[in-house]
Amino acid sequence: MTERKTIAGQDLREMFSAAASWLEKSSSEIDALNVFPVPDGDTGTNMMLTMRSTMEEAFRAPDNSAAGVASAMAKGALMGARGNSGVILSQVWRGLAEGLAGKESFTTADFAKALEQASKTAYKGVSNPVEGTMLTVMKAAASAARDQVDSGNEDIISVLEAVVEAARDSVANTPLLLKVLREAGVVDAGGQGIYTLFEGALRYLRGEVELMRLRKPQIIVSEIPHTTPLPQAAVVDEVPYGYCTEFMLKGEKIDTEAIKKRLEHKGESLIVVGDESAVRIHIHTLDPGNIVHWATKLGTMHQVSIRNMDEQHQDFLEMQKERVPTADTAVITVVSGEGLNDIFASLGAAVVIPGGQTMNPSTKDILQAVESAPSDKIIILPNNKNIILTAEQVHSLTQKQVAVVPTTTIPQGVVALLAFDYEADFKTNTRIMENAISSVKSIEITRSIRSTKVNGLKIRRKQPIGLLDGELIVAGNSDLDVLNKLLDKMEMDKAEIITIYHGEDVEAAEAEQISAGITEKYPKVQVEVVRGGQPHYNYIISVE
Amino acid sequence: MTVKIVTDTLSDITGDLTKDLDVVVVPLYVRFGEEIFRDRVEITTEEFYRRLVYESTLPSTTQPTPHDFSEVYNKLAKETDEILVITISSKLSGTYQSAMQAKKMFQGKAQINVVDSLSVAMGQGLIVISTVNAVRKGAGLEEATNFAQKAVSRSHLIAYFDTLKYLAKGGRIGKAQGLLGSMLSVKPILMVKDGEMSPLTRVRSLNGGFDYLFSVVANAGKLESLAVEHATTPGDADKLVERFSTIFPKENIIRSIISPVVGTHAGPNALAVSYLEAE
Repeated sequence: MTERKTIAGQDLREMFSAAASWLEKSSSEIDALNVFPVPDGDTGTNMMLTMRSTMEEAFRAPDNSAAGVASAMAKGALMGARGNSGVILSQVWRGLAEGLAGKESFTTADFAKALEQASKTAYKGVSNPVEGTMLTVMKAAASAARDQVDSGNEDIISVLEAVVEAARDSVANTPLLLKVLREAGVVDAGGQGIYTLFEGALRYLRGEVELMRLRKPQIIVSEIPHTTPLPQAAVVDEVPYGYCTEFMLKGEKIDTEAIKKRLEHKGESLIVVGDESAVRIHIHTLDPGNIVHWATKLGTMHQVSIRNMDEQHQDFLEMQKERVPTADTAVITVVSGEGLNDIFASLGAAVVIPGGQTMNPSTKDILQAVESAPSDKIIILPNNKNIILTAEQVHSLTQKQVAVVPTTTIPQGVVALLAFDYEADFKTNTRIMENAISSVKSIEITRSIRSTKVNGLKIRRKQPIGLLDGELIVAGNSDLDVLNKLLDKMEMDKAEIITIYHGEDVEAAEAEQISAGITEKYPKVQVEVVRGGQPHYNYIISVE
Repeated sequence: MTVKIVTDTLSDITGDLTKDLDVVVVPLYVRFGEEIFRDRVEITTEEFYRRLVYESTLPSTTQPTPHDFSEVYNKLAKETDEILVITISSKLSGTYQSAMQAKKMFQGKAQINVVDSLSVAMGQGLIVISTVNAVRKGAGLEEATNFAQKAVSRSHLIAYFDTLKYLAKGGRIGKAQGLLGSMLSVKPILMVKDGEMSPLTRVRSLNGGFDYLFSVVANAGKLESLAVEHATTPGDADKLVERFSTIFPKENIIRSIISPVVGTHAGPNALAVSYLEAE
């Protein structure tokens, strides 16, 4: 491919115009990702509308220099910025314009500098910047350009390739930085928008115009485990989001800093950007009237928009229903230990109720979980003998259809959940999951709480003991000793996979030692070690 | 004059099978960085999978251009006036769009129909094979088109994945997204449903995968055809064929290799089973 060392104004305009159309194609999918700062599902639309205004102004600009086009884009963006993401985007263009000031055309070095300025300006516009958002993605993009230029890259296309790559990775990483994204199982919508814009610009420069007409941008999928909020988190939904309030303020010598200070405590997601003569204000507030009234004293108001975010949120919830996998049955499970909680959530449990040995949840706890689960058909995995009966009470207390698959151990719960069939109906799934229980043997290793005699075994207080499928059958000198004695009693020639969930009092290194011991004894078996973090049981081990 | 059938390389109809069926197979493109190859024309399946496993840059794939289809239409129009194109699912690739666009641009006198298989790999291939047989029994273009459209709903594809990494990177994950992010090592089983990848269940081992794939096929009723495909593990596919031989004549089980383009998304060690329900 030929090298491209400079970009003039005309191409700057064309590349972002192509990028804007590219973004437009996925704006509704980006809307569906939008959960932060408010799950109102309009980020894609807002960015698209902002880009329209940005590019309209760019095409109106008489000046064909890179600086002229960039500054027209910044002006158009500020005039047409919509929503949180739109206003931040307008600051990206403003920073870019500042970085390209005076340039007829730009090189990779100019581009890197301009992106850095764009990132800086975007951060500055937001009163409390949050990571895991479009700001983070912008910063990653700028830093990738800087690295390329520092290593001597003069080819704009390959620098932009690195920028796109970095933006993509950064978007995929957003759920790690922002919990709401993790819980919703999405990447950041604004970040996705930024990525799509850079990707569109790159495709244009590569000459893929025809291809762009046929294709659609990809929504980035993150591999970061999706965590499910506990049932009580549902209460948070009751807090009203208020009104998304935005307007342009025009006048003379407007003091943006003073406006920021004044509005800081009037709401959330405050952004105040612009210059002395034109300022754009964006805030999520419960009392828009007050703010609008105050602002009229500072200058003339334009493009006033007040949107009810609770209403938008309802629409958003409807939109989400279509996005979530097809299964109409939700699985609820009872687990104790942070690791086990995350494991069950990552395997698709809709709700994880904390509880287990010595801390059995009440019928009310389970009922609450059933009611909060996003389905009318619920399968409960109690994972403990003493919880089955409690769980079975729930069906008479709710309108929902409830079935209990009587798992008595964690390994049984895991195999039952894994066997869940996305295409099967409620009854069939209940049967499939029940059948799965017998495919696993459960080992639990704990300490005896008193001296006793069970199944012909003399047991001292605090001695390591081992249970197989809930029955105490060995006692030993150490956890490893107990495990070996247990494995000797089992038919290991059919075993394929052993999973070790180590408890809260066990170091990872100890668990690895146990794992190495098993591998040595049964080299054909695949062993996996995960932190369960459960109380009481040093080890819960499944043999499949 | 008989209907000529066109498909794309994602049907996994290759080599002798292409000759036996007398179909035209239009290649998609595979791209590793700056290098672009026509699927199975300029890169062999083996070479592709070797690079998929050993190279850090993941390949990307591109549909044939409308121009690619135009060339095929113009060439075939010299021998026939009825052309039937059966493409990969329009929800997984733009191939269908390219075929349609070329149809719009076509100025010859041949009649061209394009059918969206709503499937991929042998799920698509079995539709092509069944339609070829219908044409051989005398079906004209309209009849063959109807036949292919009905075969679409008789065709099923289920696949065992060693990892969803490649599917997620390629953006084709669809509703199978719910299976991502598992903290235990699990092997997802997916199906093609309404033209998209959709989750079925998860197993923990290859043997668990065999059991599941076998049970789906065993419960599927009477079958017209059955195909088993692998990406990088022919031995595993052989084992599957062995198991299926208890419920379907072994010599009739079609063996093929998952195409590089699909392999880009399926990743190494994937296995696919396709079957066509009997009419």
